[in-house]
Amino acid sequence: MLALQILIDGFAISTLYALGALGFTLIFGVSGVLNLAHGGLLVVAAMIAWYVGTSLGYGADWGALAGLGAAIGAALLTYGGVVRPIERSRAIPPRERELFVLTATLLWGVMIQEALAYAFTDSPVTVQPLIGGTIGILGVRTPINELLIAIIAWAVMGCLWLLVNRTKIGKRLLAASINPRALTLLGFELGTIYLTVWLIYGVLAGIAGVLLGSFLGTGSDYIPDLTGSAFTIVVLGGLGSVSGTLMAAYVVGYIETLTAYLISPSLRDVPALFLLIIVLYVRPQGLLGRR
Amino acid sequence: MRTISLRRALPLIIVLVFLAVLPLGANGYILGVLTTAFYFAVFAMSWDLLFGYAGEVNFGPTFLIGLGAYGAGMANALLHAPVPLAILIGAIVAVAGGVALAIPALRLSGPYLGLITLVAVLLLQQAIVIFAGVTGGEIGLSVPDVLSIDSGPNYEYALAFMIISGLVLSIIARSSLGMILQAAGQDKIAAAALGFNATRHKIMAFAISALFSGLAGALLVFYLGTASVSAVVDVSIGVRVIIAAVLGGRRTIIGGAIGAIFLIVAGELLRPIGQLSTFVVALIALIVIVILPDGLLGLLPSRRGA
Amino acid sequence: MPQPILVVDRLHKRFGGLIAVKSLDFALHSGEILGLIGPNGSGKSTVMQMIMGVVKPTSGAILLNGSDIAGKPIFEIARAGIGIVFQHSRPLRLQTVLENILLGLLPDRIDRLRPPPGAIDRARAIAAECGLAAVLDRMPATLPFADLRRMELAKAIARDPQVVLIDEPFAGLTRGEVDDFAALITRFRDQGRAVMLVDHNVKSIASLADRVLALYLGEKIAEGAPGAVMRDETVRRVYLGGGIETHERPEADIAARKVLLDVRGISLFYGKAQALDDVSLTIHEGEFVSVVGLNGAGKTSLFNAISGLVPFRGAIAWNGAVRGRESAAAIARAGIVQCPETRELFGAMSVADNLALAGQRLPDQERAERLAWLFGLFPILKARGEQHARTLSGGEQQMLAIARSLMLKPRLLILDEPTLGLAPVILGQLSEALTRLRETTDITVLLGEQNVTFALPHADRVYVLEHARMVWQGSPARFAEEAGAGYL
Repeated sequence: MLALQILIDGFAISTLYALGALGFTLIFGVSGVLNLAHGGLLVVAAMIAWYVGTSLGYGADWGALAGLGAAIGAALLTYGGVVRPIERSRAIPPRERELFVLTATLLWGVMIQEALAYAFTDSPVTVQPLIGGTIGILGVRTPINELLIAIIAWAVMGCLWLLVNRTKIGKRLLAASINPRALTLLGFELGTIYLTVWLIYGVLAGIAGVLLGSFLGTGSDYIPDLTGSAFTIVVLGGLGSVSGTLMAAYVVGYIETLTAYLISPSLRDVPALFLLIIVLYVRPQGLLGRR
Repeated sequence: MRTISLRRALPLIIVLVFLAVLPLGANGYILGVLTTAFYFAVFAMSWDLLFGYAGEVNFGPTFLIGLGAYGAGMANALLHAPVPLAILIGAIVAVAGGVALAIPALRLSGPYLGLITLVAVLLLQQAIVIFAGVTGGEIGLSVPDVLSIDSGPNYEYALAFMIISGLVLSIIARSSLGMILQAAGQDKIAAAALGFNATRHKIMAFAISALFSGLAGALLVFYLGTASVSAVVDVSIGVRVIIAAVLGGRRTIIGGAIGAIFLIVAGELLRPIGQLSTFVVALIALIVIVILPDGLLGLLPSRRGA
Repeated sequence: MPQPILVVDRLHKRFGGLIAVKSLDFALHSGEILGLIGPNGSGKSTVMQMIMGVVKPTSGAILLNGSDIAGKPIFEIARAGIGIVFQHSRPLRLQTVLENILLGLLPDRIDRLRPPPGAIDRARAIAAECGLAAVLDRMPATLPFADLRRMELAKAIARDPQVVLIDEPFAGLTRGEVDDFAALITRFRDQGRAVMLVDHNVKSIASLADRVLALYLGEKIAEGAPGAVMRDETVRRVYLGGGIETHERPEADIAARKVLLDVRGISLFYGKAQALDDVSLTIHEGEFVSVVGLNGAGKTSLFNAISGLVPFRGAIAWNGAVRGRESAAAIARAGIVQCPETRELFGAMSVADNLALAGQRLPDQERAERLAWLFGLFPILKARGEQHARTLSGGEQQMLAIARSLMLKPRLLILDEPTLGLAPVILGQLSEALTRLRETTDITVLLGEQNVTFALPHADRVYVLEHARMVWQGSPARFAEEAGAGYL
């Protein structure tokens, strides 16, 4: 029974981790940006979904839609207002661009956190699930929402796979992650490609944020931890590797769930950190990293 | 070695003299704010030695700070070590941590090293929570002794410590060692081709940075009277340290102090607007970083001249 | 003959499956300047890096004064008496020139804050010797390029090395500066040091070197006095190819056509190094123009300027109108398509995907037709359709790169060094494809080559680029008579 509970809970949380980290790894893979305001985008989506859906009372559907829109807006603002000015700045030496992007997105994350706390609330809230109630799976009472989350998350990841592997836009994104200079030579504007990928990132972060908010709750204080776990998963899987990220999400999700159930909930973060250190020592490029 | 010309140092000396006589006129609240700012200044200057000179991206300055703070706090609370001895113990613990952190730094670089340093902070945080019996856990560890109960002496201790640290770190940065560190930080192979064993110098840089971070962390504990995760270990504290150093101006040492004091004083000045103060400070820092990559010190026209 | 100071004995280096240096032997004597030359990919840089310890040899010995230094850490090799001038240097930004030189004189100690006594005087003396006396107290950022290079030379001799390695000693320097540097390097020799210069070509170091060693594909192909090496048949074949054929179309016919591209006196700098100096070039519609020049002459810089990839001074007119500030991608869409020497394939994508990506803007039917035509031109690509681009051989990769460029329906196709690193048999296939392209279509081509034999048969007109300047232009037939002799 406990084993099944761990299996189901671990699956739900792992799937959410995967979806949450996917956008982060996509942005890094295609444009080389580590967005440390990532948690901010997730929480923006969840907060707006809660505000519109619960606080204003428009219901879960409109809330989710509003949250998605907010995340897209926030993603584009992150690119246009923070990342792009740094990449285009002549005053910043190219070698140090990475540090500047990291520092600036960190600050941007702090701004999002404070703005959300100020505009809405600084105490945790829960996004209303799209479908309430529970069902029994082999005798384990499971909220329908947990099931729905897994289905939506996998559907979204499936769509992303189709987009990248089966469409013209997807090929361009893939090509940008391999060799951006060659894309310019073939007459494609990199700016448009980066804008597209940030847009996709916004959609992914929006969906992940709303679902996370309905499963674990949300709050402006969650932002640093969410960024941290996405970063951990992505580095563990290998920066820029989508399949690595998926794998790492399940490894981390299950290790955490096992630790929480079998040892102590307060220690749930610890084993993953040790795993990360070991992996970084042995294979700095991550489990499936390219470099 | 180039000596710092008096003309350039004069404004700095005037500011420091003003700060030194400030307790005669200012109230305890202002002194309290500045005392914290001075310790932060040392955090930021130590970080700048590591990043700006040795080229190592340390995203977890609070690992070193926290080791110094908790090392000293536990020495005082559990072993009943007198304050100076406790501070010394804290510093030693921090240096040991710094050397331990240097080992991955020799293999990894860029975001990977950044992540290791970040993970080190998270592990320290977890360790403090897990061993709550001796560390005080999430509530924090109260230390029986303090530097002083008056704001005036506390302020002067912090100011003196900041000035000495700044002076020592500046001297190191401009010394032979500092030059070798910069060379190795920019291009390890080129530095080695000049006959330098970059590994030893990098470990030294970590140790020096850890020494001052640890000392500052330890002193801060005996100023605050407690060691707590939220005050000396939390990742967000480390982020503020990095932002302070970049804001003031990288590769300058003193820029770290200017950035730290600016951040904390601006935060206090904006306190009337309540919750939004952090937002505004972050916004200002973001704008400065994007528009002036050389930080506030980059505004001074004389710095980079011929 | 006295004992050599440096002996390289059966030095061997393998990177995975590639043999970069193959059982190489040579010796270097005190008071001698040895030139190590070879085209890109010949292994000369690897040899230098192995001597310095940057790259560990697979096998073989490097004896400095009789003791083996092969595989030792760089800093030990440096202290044992070898100094190096890297091609790219990063000076300390916050320190003066004097302090930068002082850096080379510091002991490797972590407990010293001040330089040893006498070091500053010594640094001044070295600076004066290298011609830096007037700029001792300036910051590196304010120095001209040549002075930055002088500073690197000064740092390299600071530890008084017995052997000095210099990578591309004259890259980016003006003619006058080249003479100064040659005098300086000669002085190093006269002080009794052994000097090894590494460069792409014989010509730039011929007047300076006492002895030249030519490498090709990791092996020694010639060794001896510079003049003899320049006349050596194998060396000439490596650089020039075999006999020269020409097939130019009548000049009058070409001149009557419309000017498609007009490059008017452009100059280009990388930081402080000048890559192009007042370069002009005209291409008529349907013309095949070859720009020949040795590595580092500025061909790639010229092409990148035409493709809008780097900022430059001067004007470029395309199709009769002077270009404004179009993005590089817009220039490519307008019809100037570059196939760069680095090929820039999408390594982790299949051959078919590489081609499909280039054809994304074409209607489906036209894309299919074009693909069929390209497979006719390069049949091997059809067979390799599903293979990842990075698993192709060098020649196949080059064909894919050209095919991918042609997929864009270029009005002007720029081919930069298509022969780079390819075996002679592949060159034949490539040459055939170009011939067919030239005969069956009215495509306009701008070809950049160091290999004259490859460049000339297709060309209607030839430009010679040397040391950032256009020094000659004319018909291929005249090139064979006039310019060819002075080329190497």
